Amino acid sequence: MKTKKQWELKDVILMAILGVVFSAVYLAVFQGGLVLSTALTPLGLSNFAFELIYGVWFMAATLAAYLIRKPGVALITEVLAAAVELLMGNAGGLTVVLTGVIQGLGAELAFALFRYKKWDLGSMSLAGIFSAVFIFCYELYYLSYYLLSPALLAAQLAVRFLSAVLFSGVLCKLVGDALARTGAVKSYAIGATARIGTIYDEEDS
Amino acid sequence: MRTLDPACKFVSLLCATFVLAARHDPVWNLAAFFLAVGWMLISRVRGKTMGLLLLPVLLTAAGMFFTGYRFSADGALPFRAETLHIGDSALWNGLTLSSRVLAYAGLGLLFALTTDRVDMVRSFQRRFRLPQVFAYGLLAAWGIFPQAAREYRRTKAAFRARGIRVAPMSPALLKPLLVKAVRWSEELSVAMESKGFSSGAERSEFARSRLRRRDWAALLCGCVLLPLAAALWK
Repeated sequence: MKTKKQWELKDVILMAILGVVFSAVYLAVFQGGLVLSTALTPLGLSNFAFELIYGVWFMAATLAAYLIRKPGVALITEVLAAAVELLMGNAGGLTVVLTGVIQGLGAELAFALFRYKKWDLGSMSLAGIFSAVFIFCYELYYLSYYLLSPALLAAQLAVRFLSAVLFSGVLCKLVGDALARTGAVKSYAIGATARIGTIYDEEDS
Repeated sequence: MRTLDPACKFVSLLCATFVLAARHDPVWNLAAFFLAVGWMLISRVRGKTMGLLLLPVLLTAAGMFFTGYRFSADGALPFRAETLHIGDSALWNGLTLSSRVLAYAGLGLLFALTTDRVDMVRSFQRRFRLPQVFAYGLLAAWGIFPQAAREYRRTKAAFRARGIRVAPMSPALLKPLLVKAVRWSEELSVAMESKGFSSGAERSEFARSRLRRRDWAALLCGCVLLPLAAALWK
């Protein structure tokens, strides 16, 4: 099936809905991370709790791009998810939209490097890693991370890379493929290549 | 605060956030935080709502304090500490980092809790000249949110009825939710297209709003006066 590079209305709606679903996931994961970080607080290592799960914040962009496979999808989905997070009242403040733009740009760059033709674990992991690098550079300034010791920062970045590959690479690929198998995304680019199992109608299932 | 135009409010508070980011001063950060909390109380934000949202912020700030306290980058900085108003003590370092978390979150919550969601999307679309398709898409997706929450609970109940225990946010619960999300998005886009919605055509609006004097005042305070004060205040 040949897919147009131009966006359709259903692409935008899917991106927005993925943004909404993932911002709920972000909030839930944030609470979980908080418990962990509180436990690590006396050691001064509470930052690592969030580094471990940082990759979750890159998932919306990678998953949407994996499903729709058009230029700009990763960036806009991440921004929409950030906008919804802002609407819900998050703890990160107003700049959450800006972080969405930065992370989305990272992911977008990775897919653009492959000219939007390669959609596999490699390109998705790279998207996560680029997002991680982009947002880390921004946090160096915004969260004054340069006040922390370089060794700690290097360790934090390493953990963040791992998390990015795990969540936005491996997990997003698994989720995307699982979705493709259900046949729900057969009208999107990913459906053209996926092997679809038996499809049940909503009423039958 | 509630009557301000959301886009103006957003820009002024964002500006204020960046002013705080440029100044490494716990006093300014804490002042911003308490000002935000006070303003929320004046704007009649419910105390319980605010408390619940502030609790995780306070925990994060505590975590950040100890990180900054124990792992400060002493001496290894590429620039002189005095020029950036950074004290050399680890305590000050911890305070700077943690009060910053409070200030950012305070301003963020001040915006989120005093702004109507639909108004915000409309105002952003008008003032920032966003394409209408995104504004409508976001509003449509926002409308689906309660349905998504209901679906999540329903799937959980379905598992329980079969005697299967599933952990919160487990893939077993999220997969049906994602499948449903894709189906909703298709139904929604068909519905919108059938109502004549296309991304190309200009749409009229039922409610037109103009910027008032207080909106300009907010912009002036956030984007001009505050940065000036921060630059002049030693």
